[in-house]
Amino acid sequence: MQQFANPRRFLRLVDAVEPWAWALTVILLAIGLYLSLIVAPQDYQQGETVRIMFVHVPAAWMALLAYLDMAVASAIAIIFRHPLADLAAKAAAPIGACFTFLALATGSLWGKPMWGTWWVWDARLTSMFVLFLLYLGYIAIWHAIDDPGRAARIAAIVALVGCINLPIIKFSVDWWNTLHQPASVFRIGGPTLHPAILTPLLVMGAAYLALFVTLHLTAIRAEIMARRLRQIELARADEV
Amino acid sequence: MDLTAPHLGFVFAAYGLSLVVLAGLVLWLTHRNRTLARALRQLEAQRAPRRRAIGEAP
Repeated sequence: MQQFANPRRFLRLVDAVEPWAWALTVILLAIGLYLSLIVAPQDYQQGETVRIMFVHVPAAWMALLAYLDMAVASAIAIIFRHPLADLAAKAAAPIGACFTFLALATGSLWGKPMWGTWWVWDARLTSMFVLFLLYLGYIAIWHAIDDPGRAARIAAIVALVGCINLPIIKFSVDWWNTLHQPASVFRIGGPTLHPAILTPLLVMGAAYLALFVTLHLTAIRAEIMARRLRQIELARADEV
Repeated sequence: MDLTAPHLGFVFAAYGLSLVVLAGLVLWLTHRNRTLARALRQLEAQRAPRRRAIGEAP
């Protein structure tokens, strides 16, 4: 891991990987959308609205994964002082916030025809909303504090404390009586979904994962350049 | 897909919103990368003659 501590080496790696990552993302998205919108059958109870699941569930998975990524990178930044870890955490935040917003919004669009309401304050929806607020708070810390080192430390602590929300989100449907349905893919005993529905869901999940990885690499590169830019500007200010 | 099915508007809204948000994220990150790369190139180009003038390694 330390070999990628050198930003130049990391940027060379990103330059080499990025085109392939984009190609994989586009191919997976094309296959996923074809399976989701054309091949997948209607649900016997939900009808066509079941297709919302193919964009809602992968967005929710990526919302959790992005936060886990942010928290692990924050822990690495605090413990090992890895020079790119805080930038990796910072880069994941806006992407995770977008996926969380999509999970909430598409869930709402699914909830209205199926539950008869846009929103309920049940444990799953509320804990996802808290995740969204955690992302916004994390982003706000980076913008509010001028010293990047101090901002990184405070933001890392917030990210790690917020980690407690991840198991709450995952197990909220088991611990409390919620309107949201219980887990039907990642559960002990295996998925409960029919393969005709499960396959498009997993392909869309893979497409969203490829998109997240690609965007994250792009965002880390932007953060590295922003830090370099700041260093040059500070050096120029010192020279003057 | 049955285009006469009820609630189809919710399905299209969910896919449309996903497309808008994710495409917006891609465009924002791409634009940010390009802007930062351009600014970095300009600053480093400005620094190079000054470094040579004060005898620093390029």
